[in-house]
Amino acid sequence: MSESSSITFRLNGRTRTFNVPPGRRLLDLIREEAGMTGTKEGCGAGECGACTVLLDGRPVPSCLIFAVSCDGQEITTIEGLATGAVLHPIQEAMIHTGGVQCGFCTPGVVMTSVALLEHSVTDPDERKRRLAGNLCRCTGYVKIFDAIEKAEQSSGEDHV
Amino acid sequence: MSESQPPLGGSHKRLDAEAKITGQTRYVGDLSLPGMLHAAVAMSTTASARVRSIDLSAAQDMPEVEAILTAKDIPGTNLIGVIFPDQPLLVEDRIRMVGDRLALVAARTPEAAWRAAGAIRSNVEPLPGVFDPIAALDDGSPLVHGTSNLLHTYRVIRGEHEETSSEAPVIVEAEYHIGGQEHAYLEPQACLAIPERDRITVVASCQCPFYIQRAVARILALPLAAIRIEQAPTGGAFGGKEDYPSEPAACAALLAHHTGRPVRFLYHRELDLQVTTKRHAMVVRHRWGADSDGRLLFAEVDAVLDAGAYAGLSTVVAERANVSAIGPYDVPVVRVETRIALTNNLFAGAYRGFGAPQVSVAAEATMDRLARKLNIDPVEFRRRNLLTNRKAKTCTGQVLPAPVLAEACLERAVEASQLFVAGDRNPSFRKRGTGVAMCLYGINLHRGGQFLDRSSAVVILQPDGSVIVRVGLTEMGQGNLTAIQTVTAAALGIDPEQVQVWQPDTTTVADSGPTVASRGLHTSGRAVLDAIRHLRERLDPVAADLLGCDPRAVELAGNEARVADGKSSIPFPKVAEEMAARRIESISTGWYRSEPREFDEETGLGNPYSSYAIACHVAKVAVDPDLGLVRVEHVAAAHDVGRVIHRSAAEGQVEGGIVQAMGWALTEELKLDKGRLLNPGFTDYLIPTSDDVPEISVTFLEDAPGRGPFGAKGLGEPSFIPAAAAIRNAVCDALEVEIDRLPLTPPTVVLATDPEQPFLHGLP
Ligand code: FES
Ligand code: FES
Repeated sequence: MSESSSITFRLNGRTRTFNVPPGRRLLDLIREEAGMTGTKEGCGAGECGACTVLLDGRPVPSCLIFAVSCDGQEITTIEGLATGAVLHPIQEAMIHTGGVQCGFCTPGVVMTSVALLEHSVTDPDERKRRLAGNLCRCTGYVKIFDAIEKAEQSSGEDHV
Repeated sequence: MSESQPPLGGSHKRLDAEAKITGQTRYVGDLSLPGMLHAAVAMSTTASARVRSIDLSAAQDMPEVEAILTAKDIPGTNLIGVIFPDQPLLVEDRIRMVGDRLALVAARTPEAAWRAAGAIRSNVEPLPGVFDPIAALDDGSPLVHGTSNLLHTYRVIRGEHEETSSEAPVIVEAEYHIGGQEHAYLEPQACLAIPERDRITVVASCQCPFYIQRAVARILALPLAAIRIEQAPTGGAFGGKEDYPSEPAACAALLAHHTGRPVRFLYHRELDLQVTTKRHAMVVRHRWGADSDGRLLFAEVDAVLDAGAYAGLSTVVAERANVSAIGPYDVPVVRVETRIALTNNLFAGAYRGFGAPQVSVAAEATMDRLARKLNIDPVEFRRRNLLTNRKAKTCTGQVLPAPVLAEACLERAVEASQLFVAGDRNPSFRKRGTGVAMCLYGINLHRGGQFLDRSSAVVILQPDGSVIVRVGLTEMGQGNLTAIQTVTAAALGIDPEQVQVWQPDTTTVADSGPTVASRGLHTSGRAVLDAIRHLRERLDPVAADLLGCDPRAVELAGNEARVADGKSSIPFPKVAEEMAARRIESISTGWYRSEPREFDEETGLGNPYSSYAIACHVAKVAVDPDLGLVRVEHVAAAHDVGRVIHRSAAEGQVEGGIVQAMGWALTEELKLDKGRLLNPGFTDYLIPTSDDVPEISVTFLEDAPGRGPFGAKGLGEPSFIPAAAAIRNAVCDALEVEIDRLPLTPPTVVLATDPEQPFLHGLP
């Protein structure tokens, strides 16, 4: 086994340094070393999206990413969305529309949705395609779509 | 926002939503304790064999391994199983299915545990197996247990048969092959066992902490009172966490008991798909007859369920399939026979709908076949045969109370479906079809399982007027915490935010049976109302003292206690504060058990359920006949729900149910080879994604009250049942063929339209 390397990245806005062995998955680093368990493991194989985090603003399955490859990057997890007591508009919207049932897919779904909103993906069919990497077995996705739409409207209003 | 909404039937914020949306909800995988060990299991990779020996030596010496246990290390009885304890926790000699456990490992890391499990070697003598449920019932077929593979037969025998059967002007016969299904909850099986020498706590992702309590007690030979099972936040279940979690929990408990250290057992996805229970695959044969005016004369149904290698819950699943076999239709003569076959396939268990979806697909397909033969529109044919206020006799002869909303559900769903305008789709999806299907679903447990049909509730009034509630039924995503919060708030006249419902724990509530059969709200809601009634026996006199009125005149509404004449009132928290000051008992318990019912096991006649919900789904599909691809474009759903308790949660049940049923109907194929699952991953086992979702319209009918709180019925399963049948009927309508196999995968669809298709050889 080769040695651990020291990596530094920004995690939810804070600069963090970790010593990581080469095979360590970003998912494990976030959940174990950083102690942020909001990001979930549903398959460990890139198939379900429960482990989705934003890596420099792009949604990625953290179970498929080696932590060492994240040196110098910016990572956002579900814990990094709310500002104090104020939730992100997509979080508010998901609560409001009923997009949360068992909640296990929810952190991943929310992170992908944040990326859709930030990249202004407005075409509903395009959104459905881009969300297809996040499986949800409970909701049938309908109220998740409603939440994205609602969040888009409310953040539009905020910025006017 | 939430203040202005009435709690009952509104959509106030779910009580678990904020924790889930911020990632703060702690599922089992998010819990760890100092010194905690990780469990792994060595399993059989063949389906039928005799074990000669198990060699643990290589594994024992591996680093970080703390314990390796086999059957001889079990202090209690090495048998689990909810109804028939026919399944050893750890194999002693006979292997009956892939995934049978040979040995358990506890190690300091999950990786070390799985490495050691992989180093355990077994020497086995292969035995012949049986993998086809029909063949399993033949004489001379290899036996899975004992002397017969026929586990049980259920029947319904109603009406005089002989003449009708031969004289019916129109008769159809068909044989349906309905596939199983994997639950695919997003959180795999998970539990954490924490030992305290002669007692133990297990925190588990589950639907029934009481089943786990019994399994752990039996394995460890401890009294039930020494076993505490706490239901963890549960990341989806759908029946897959009804009976199955007893197995990992008993494994973790055994390892924890043995090592004296906490043991966490998390399944990884492949293991979860490979070894956990599935929906029963079924073969359903029909012979149904109608007169030339399109009135049903008789229905003969012969259904065989593939139970797999252990009994599990197969008897109760078959019991429900048996009485659900003809849908909400008025049929004067009924003959149903439902048999359960043991095979060496993965064992089947509870799954949303409990056998009813399979027989409903068959019933609704036969209804369409008859309609086509009679040249009557399928909707009109159903209209002529639906149960109504005057013709209200179900399959088992139970008379439904008026109003019977079958026709109303049909009309509302059809109307909603007609409003749908198909958009421009890929032109290769050139065939379009519409399909309709219905269901009649007994809310709560079948008469045979009635001994389990009760719930406990505990209500604790806090000195500040807020309220703690516990019920024995569980939250797995469906919204029971919020439904119970809503019921409590409505009954006490306070805001829902003042009510906190906590997940059950076997030390805080009495055994309430499993959270299944769409009975969560019904049963636990009634128990809460009972607890509140008891609480008010103590609360109302205090309020009356403060108000200067008779206790019988006290009303609770608007966060106040009021005198019925409306002249004086006092804030609810003041009453709570006064109760605390007077040291009056502020905890009360409640209980509910469903009404006793008459049912004859031999004839299958009587009242299996205390109330029923009816539903209709209409599906519109587009089909690419060359590639065999199906897109569901629209589903209109109309549900007889009694009373909506929480609107967005109710809609969410229907939307989620429809999409899950769509997966079962179209893509979710369990590919089994000699009892081994060939596609244990989401790359090959395809559950619906956001890109597959149809437009869905949901209508609730609230004119026929059920027996739940405020007249609610149940919705979790009726939301699933008609959809797959409607989709099958729509595809057949589009292609003008009959397809009698589910799922409708591309090869199945192509083969149905082009039996000569040269690329599809070898398809069954
Ligand atoms: S856990 Fe990473 S995609 Fe499923
Ligand atoms: S809410 Fe349960 S999987 Fe999405």
